[in-house]
Amino acid sequence: MKRTVAEINQRIKDGDVVVMTAEEVIPYVQSEGVERAAKEVDVVTTGTFGAMCSSGAFLNFGHSEPPIRMQRVTLNDVPAYAGIAAVDAYIGATELKQGDHSEYGGAHVIEDLIAGKPVRLKATSNGTDCYPRKDIDTYVSLNSMNQAYLFNPRNAYQNYAAGTNSSERTLFTYMGKLLPSYGNVTYSSAGQLSPLLNDPTMRTIGIGTRIFLGGATGYVAWEGTQFRTNVETSFGVPMGAARNLATIGDMRDMSPDFVRALYLHGYGTTLALGIGIPIPILDEDMMKAVSVSDEHLFAPVVDYSVQSRNRRPIKQVSYAELRSGRIELFGKEVRTSSLSSYLKARQIAEVLSERIENGEFTLTEPVAPLPQDRSQGTLEVRSKEDAI
Amino acid sequence: MAKKKFMLGFSPELVNEAIVYRLVKDYDLKINILRAEVKELGGRLLMEVDGKASNIKDAAKYLNECKVDVQELANYVEKNEERCTHCGVCISICPVEALTMERPTWMVRYDPEKCIACGMCIDACPPGAMKFRI
Repeated sequence: MKRTVAEINQRIKDGDVVVMTAEEVIPYVQSEGVERAAKEVDVVTTGTFGAMCSSGAFLNFGHSEPPIRMQRVTLNDVPAYAGIAAVDAYIGATELKQGDHSEYGGAHVIEDLIAGKPVRLKATSNGTDCYPRKDIDTYVSLNSMNQAYLFNPRNAYQNYAAGTNSSERTLFTYMGKLLPSYGNVTYSSAGQLSPLLNDPTMRTIGIGTRIFLGGATGYVAWEGTQFRTNVETSFGVPMGAARNLATIGDMRDMSPDFVRALYLHGYGTTLALGIGIPIPILDEDMMKAVSVSDEHLFAPVVDYSVQSRNRRPIKQVSYAELRSGRIELFGKEVRTSSLSSYLKARQIAEVLSERIENGEFTLTEPVAPLPQDRSQGTLEVRSKEDAI
Repeated sequence: MAKKKFMLGFSPELVNEAIVYRLVKDYDLKINILRAEVKELGGRLLMEVDGKASNIKDAAKYLNECKVDVQELANYVEKNEERCTHCGVCISICPVEALTMERPTWMVRYDPEKCIACGMCIDACPPGAMKFRI
């Protein structure tokens, strides 16, 4: 059985396309077999909704009268990067509001904008002959800005280590609150629904792939930062953080239902983002890949009290175990928590299915593939000569 | 029989009184102490009380007479359903399983009846959905 993206798009146009979510397809393949399922189903939709720190927005505010070349910009007192053209800025999700101990950050500015709220813009400048103005204090909203789009350097991680804590004190990490003496385990993946776990070698996902991003239609822009392929696999699927995506999409079409600011106590702010990717069932191999279930997907458990980049996994556990609410660690039952929302992941896969069935969303072939062989380097304190 | 949760507040001069003993002995109450602390400004005792409704009422009266601040715990912690993303970070944090993951809906359910107002979920909730009701 072979099927092309063009054939799938014709079926979407004709209203004949058969779409299932990556969750629905599991029992279907179990009862009908891969061959029959591949014949019947054209597209399988995936979804994930989790904290994605490497996210942010490019904004263009429009020119003031007289014009200003903004050098220092804040939005609701959260600094944005303005070292680009006059009225462009980039606000990152983890940037914190100025002042001590703020629980408000770039992610909140992004959520507020998407929710349609006005945001206070303050900017200063040294002033130039062509941009004489030296400061401005005003309000902007999605309606008032010329462009406002998320451009996220690292989203939708293929897989991620689960966290625990062997120390005597509670740790507040980007993996959430980790209780002392292996008091709990947190993990962050939609597992069997997660986009890149359903296309583990990224056969169908590449640059230009159309995706669901925060409720809007977005695109894969590039390989994500720290993209790597050299990760140990089980059943052909990476068992740790491997591939990920740089994504782009218009904030105007996004919804706060799928873009949510988070504050992780003791860590800072981050953005929870909903991403869904349709997987075209090009052949039986693709159907086999998307029918993977949580029993066959694994994550390492690492000890976050080890303050080093080299944390050796305590053990590998399946997402079925993690999702059961309890795993066994050193002979003790430990409760588990997810940092990503399975409910929202499921909703995203369902919304994407509906959009495809209604002909509102068609599939794309990658404009260019993402790297097939990529490792991840480290940062050392080195001399100028050694850096080359 | 009734089961209720109370937060008792003691001024420093009351800390040495055997109040729990009186509650057991004189009012025939079964008491489960959930939290207890003594600080500069006095003490706090969070307890679950099991006994005859009339005895619980009388005990509360006795405590008031002793100048113990008595507050019945009902919905001390609230969950903002708009804010909750149902991630479930809270479920392995909550010591009494007042927060649970409902299956197969994968929605986080909060049972205020079980809540002991420890507040551990509050700084654990990333979208800020859990708050003390003041």
